[in-house]
Amino acid sequence: MTLAIATRDLTRRFGDFLAIDSVSMSVPEGVVYGFLGRNGAGKTTTLKMILALIRPGRGEIRICGRDIRTLRLETAALIGSLLEAHGFYRNLTGYQNLDLTRRLLGLPRAAIDRVLEITSMKEDAGRRVAGYSLGMRQRLGIARALLGSPRVLILDEPTNGLDPDGIHDMRVFLRELPERTGATVLVSSHLLGEVEMTAGHVGILHEGRLVAQGPLERLKAELPARLRLDVSEPERAASLVESRGFRVDRERRGLVIDLVARDDVREAAGLLNRSLIEAGLEVFAVQPEPRSLETLYRRATGVRIEAEAA
Amino acid sequence: MVGRAVTAALAVETIKLNRSLALALALIAPGLIGVYTLLNALRVGEPREWDLWLAGNAFIWASFMLPMSLTALSALMAQMEHSPQSWDQLRALPVPRWTIYAAKATLLIALMFLMSMAVPMGIAAALVVAGWIDPQAIATGRIDGAATAARYARVSLAGLLIAALQFWIAVRFTSFVPAMALGIGGTFFALVAHSAENGVFFPWIMPVHTLSTDPAHAGLAMSLGGGLGGAVMLAAVVHLASREQR
Repeated sequence: MTLAIATRDLTRRFGDFLAIDSVSMSVPEGVVYGFLGRNGAGKTTTLKMILALIRPGRGEIRICGRDIRTLRLETAALIGSLLEAHGFYRNLTGYQNLDLTRRLLGLPRAAIDRVLEITSMKEDAGRRVAGYSLGMRQRLGIARALLGSPRVLILDEPTNGLDPDGIHDMRVFLRELPERTGATVLVSSHLLGEVEMTAGHVGILHEGRLVAQGPLERLKAELPARLRLDVSEPERAASLVESRGFRVDRERRGLVIDLVARDDVREAAGLLNRSLIEAGLEVFAVQPEPRSLETLYRRATGVRIEAEAA
Repeated sequence: MVGRAVTAALAVETIKLNRSLALALALIAPGLIGVYTLLNALRVGEPREWDLWLAGNAFIWASFMLPMSLTALSALMAQMEHSPQSWDQLRALPVPRWTIYAAKATLLIALMFLMSMAVPMGIAAALVVAGWIDPQAIATGRIDGAATAARYARVSLAGLLIAALQFWIAVRFTSFVPAMALGIGGTFFALVAHSAENGVFFPWIMPVHTLSTDPAHAGLAMSLGGGLGGAVMLAAVVHLASREQR
């Protein structure tokens, strides 16, 4: 498998703070790779190291097989990026902003028309950026990132601050990007739902460490089946279930039980239901828990999303 | 390849000035000397020689307006990148990073020279207007164009060290406060100490000393300002391009 981005043992400290700890990313060519992590997990620091904007303390970065630290110009030419701060000049029009990058890259004017077409920004390109909505700036940022026909596109939180319509449009746009442009897309986000609907591959960064990585469907399939129980006395029920050898997570909405084998959901549901009723508990609902990115994230990081949301 | 990168970076920096505060300042600052000259000529209300006006106002430009303009201009040019946080976008591009900083520095120097050359033109225009309004306020004699241009060029050359220091600080720090503090402080000390014995070694006084009637002294000021200015600007570009920007 050819890798568009490969990092090995990437590490970075800021003073005593270990921001990135031995991160080894593998982003295959032609995929949308969702780089997940809560705010402050180290996503932007990792992306900045990949873009050679900050230096790793240790480790290696390869873009399409090239080492960006030793061949920066040649390797940077393979990358288009949109960082969280767009960096647009508000006194200039969208077209003029793109023209600045076009001139620096030494491209013909037709390159601007091409990326405006891809991002559906042609009609607004003549307006000053100061009057753009956030969604338009994001699209203009992606247009700028696409200018050099990059093989790798790095987008840092592209849905940040967008309204629901904007998020939907961006999601559709990102999903189609590899097919339309041939580029591999690395998109960082802290929004699980967005990544789940956009990315085919994910990497989960937690407190500077890459705690899970791979094709999303495979990672989800590897999760153990789980059952969610809604019962009258959760604590007593949990003790009872644990005594049967199951691992139990106590959540606000009930108990979530890990099933070790994957094909015993019906059998386990029957067994638990019978045991709880025989113990005099009321069982309101027993339902299989979907294998979602949220579950994957929670298992990989140990973070209770429900508790965070509350 | 480097030549193309430098040319492109220069063109890009020039385009960025379009409708910018930096460009407005570059036009307004020499214009203010013209306005001052007009008001002063009307107040005096009697004929004076061209050179008296041009030399007198060169002192005002060299001692106050040039250092303050360089302070504001370099800060505004740096804020063009700091404010929208565009350094990362620029530095991620496949172009030598030093060309980005070198282009900005070159444009600052070019603007300084153009502003300085615009000053005597503004003064001349103001005196013509003053003569129309009040025939008594007419400028007499003839303009020595070459000498005037040389005078303002010397001031600009000596101002190179101020430009380099201001540029370095303005680009290095995201906040505009360090650059403003340096520029205001430097100009203040230059005003209160411009006749100090060793004043020629203080960067913000160097442009004034190029107006000295002693050619050796004027030459020293010009050499110090120009030579050190070039060296400091080079060091600034190398440092800024190689440092890690977080």
